[in-house]
Amino acid sequence: MTWTAALVVALVIIAVLAGALWRQRHYQERLKAQLKAATADLEQLQNACSRLAPAGVVQRLVADGIALDDAPGAERKVVTAMFVDLVGFTAMTERLEPALLVRVLNGYYQRVSDAIEEHRGQVGSFVGDGIVAYFGAIQPNPWQCDDAVRAALAMRAAIRAYNGELEREGLPPLAIGVGIDRGPGLAGLMGSRARREYAFIGRAVNLAARLQGLTRIHQVDILVTEALRAELDAGFVLVPMPAEPVKGFAEPIVTYAVRGRSEPHQDRGQ
Amino acid sequence: MASALEHVSWETCLIEPRSDRALEAYARRKVGVPFLSLRYFASVPWLARAVVDLHPELGLLMHLDQSVADLLTLVVSQENSCRFCYAVMRMLLRAQGMSDARIERMEQHLSRAGDLPPRTAAAIAFGRSQSRVGPGAARDARRALRHAGFSDDEMKEIGFVVASTDFLNRIHTIPAIPSRPVERMPDRLHMRLLGPLLNYIVQKHRFRGRATPLERAPLYPYARLVRAYAGSPIAPALGQAIEEMWASPVLSRRSKLLMLAVIARGLGCEVCALEIGEALQREGLDASALAQILTHLDAPELDDTERLLVRFARETIWYEPAVLQRRARALSARLTGPQLVEAAGVASLANGLCRLGAMVLEHA
Repeated sequence: MTWTAALVVALVIIAVLAGALWRQRHYQERLKAQLKAATADLEQLQNACSRLAPAGVVQRLVADGIALDDAPGAERKVVTAMFVDLVGFTAMTERLEPALLVRVLNGYYQRVSDAIEEHRGQVGSFVGDGIVAYFGAIQPNPWQCDDAVRAALAMRAAIRAYNGELEREGLPPLAIGVGIDRGPGLAGLMGSRARREYAFIGRAVNLAARLQGLTRIHQVDILVTEALRAELDAGFVLVPMPAEPVKGFAEPIVTYAVRGRSEPHQDRGQ
Repeated sequence: MASALEHVSWETCLIEPRSDRALEAYARRKVGVPFLSLRYFASVPWLARAVVDLHPELGLLMHLDQSVADLLTLVVSQENSCRFCYAVMRMLLRAQGMSDARIERMEQHLSRAGDLPPRTAAAIAFGRSQSRVGPGAARDARRALRHAGFSDDEMKEIGFVVASTDFLNRIHTIPAIPSRPVERMPDRLHMRLLGPLLNYIVQKHRFRGRATPLERAPLYPYARLVRAYAGSPIAPALGQAIEEMWASPVLSRRSKLLMLAVIARGLGCEVCALEIGEALQREGLDASALAQILTHLDAPELDDTERLLVRFARETIWYEPAVLQRRARALSARLTGPQLVEAAGVASLANGLCRLGAMVLEHA
């Protein structure tokens, strides 16, 4: 009788312990699943943030655990700024259905962004159909001028290829205007408490935007300033344009149209 | 459990592993266990040896606390997004008996420097600044290290730990050495059982460095850097790796110098650029051609291989692993296997040396 009772007690204790263990395991697995889901959410959030600011900036903020309010201030840097815009966009908005227009625009944004990132630039922001990009803003880049012009030439080729696709669908072709300048300014996360974006503030951005406007006057697609030309590889074929007055600048601005690379440089695989 | 870097995109490996018994035996003697990545570098012996010999924990540190060095290695590997190196570090921590939860807590501590002792926090900040900003931030970072109470000798060893980690991270990242098997290893049953033994063997092979005379004055570029470590075991280890790199016939000496010059330029390390520039002039490249190459990564004086290597070298300075690996894959179509391995080795070592140069030579 005593043995039977002891066995029953032992079995009960084992059952209770097994139950507790099972519950503990179940609890741990639930916590693990929650942690996994939270990690996935955070990764998704980080990916989403990477679309709003250059990936390098987002990664640093995440890696350092920095709250946006405490993010480091802007740094003084020499940066190459690029402004890209669609020529004839307003007319296109009147001709195309909104859904179709968005699809065509997204194709344009993607191709231009790819060309910028392929040449180590960062897309700063989308302004309507315009794109602002920086070269040498996040990491030091002594080759930023060559990179920017190569990116512009890659955009020209990419838009030409895209136009072939649009034409097959019976859609109007796209044309871009690109302005590029280089100069000192402040680069970093800027904005209000509620909304910030990675930006570069300096004369070069304003002038790049104005140059983009001048592409219509000169009937070319890529224009660079004298300051940028001075830093460029001699292998780029540049054509001087007549000096033009530009809003916000006292003197008329001398610009150069970029035709491409000279043949020996193309042979060298550039 | 997933490591902090498992979300980092990682391409398939670009190079074929090759068995070399002599090299594997050499590594096993030094480390105590099979060296997981060595077979990938066997076609370029100097690189395979350097990957083993430049590990700080194998008798190269005399002054810096080993635990600070280990944390620096972990932080810089995380900063450089090297999945392979980070996975190896995690595997060793697991073998030491650390649970996943404890490793994660440690990673969180590392990302919040405020929770760490001031000396450790300063060392970690230095490692981060070298990975993110490079030599441009060296002066401020040195000042912070001194303020935290590190001696000159400790600071030089911190510089070396960061530089060797930069080298090891890049040499495993550029050819995309497979990381998945290492990431999974701690969860394997046999590893759980053998973990304590692995830890015992690895710890037994770690040792503190002893004063080692630099037997002969080096003559090759970066000789000043080696001389700056005279008396430390780092000097002969670094000297041998650099000397063997110059002597290797896989890529021309001029190609290697050009790669180093581009990386020195990209990182803004003036002391390194000066020494390499002088060496290139001795190789017959005049100053104007060198200026053209360094300003535009191209010149008529370059042959086809040099042109490829010069452009590739710049990709290794700041990078996203998958982008760098795709560019290395494009390069692999134009080079032989050993050439690709040596190019990756030269670029990796140059990135470490230029960061070290800014720390040690400007300091000297």
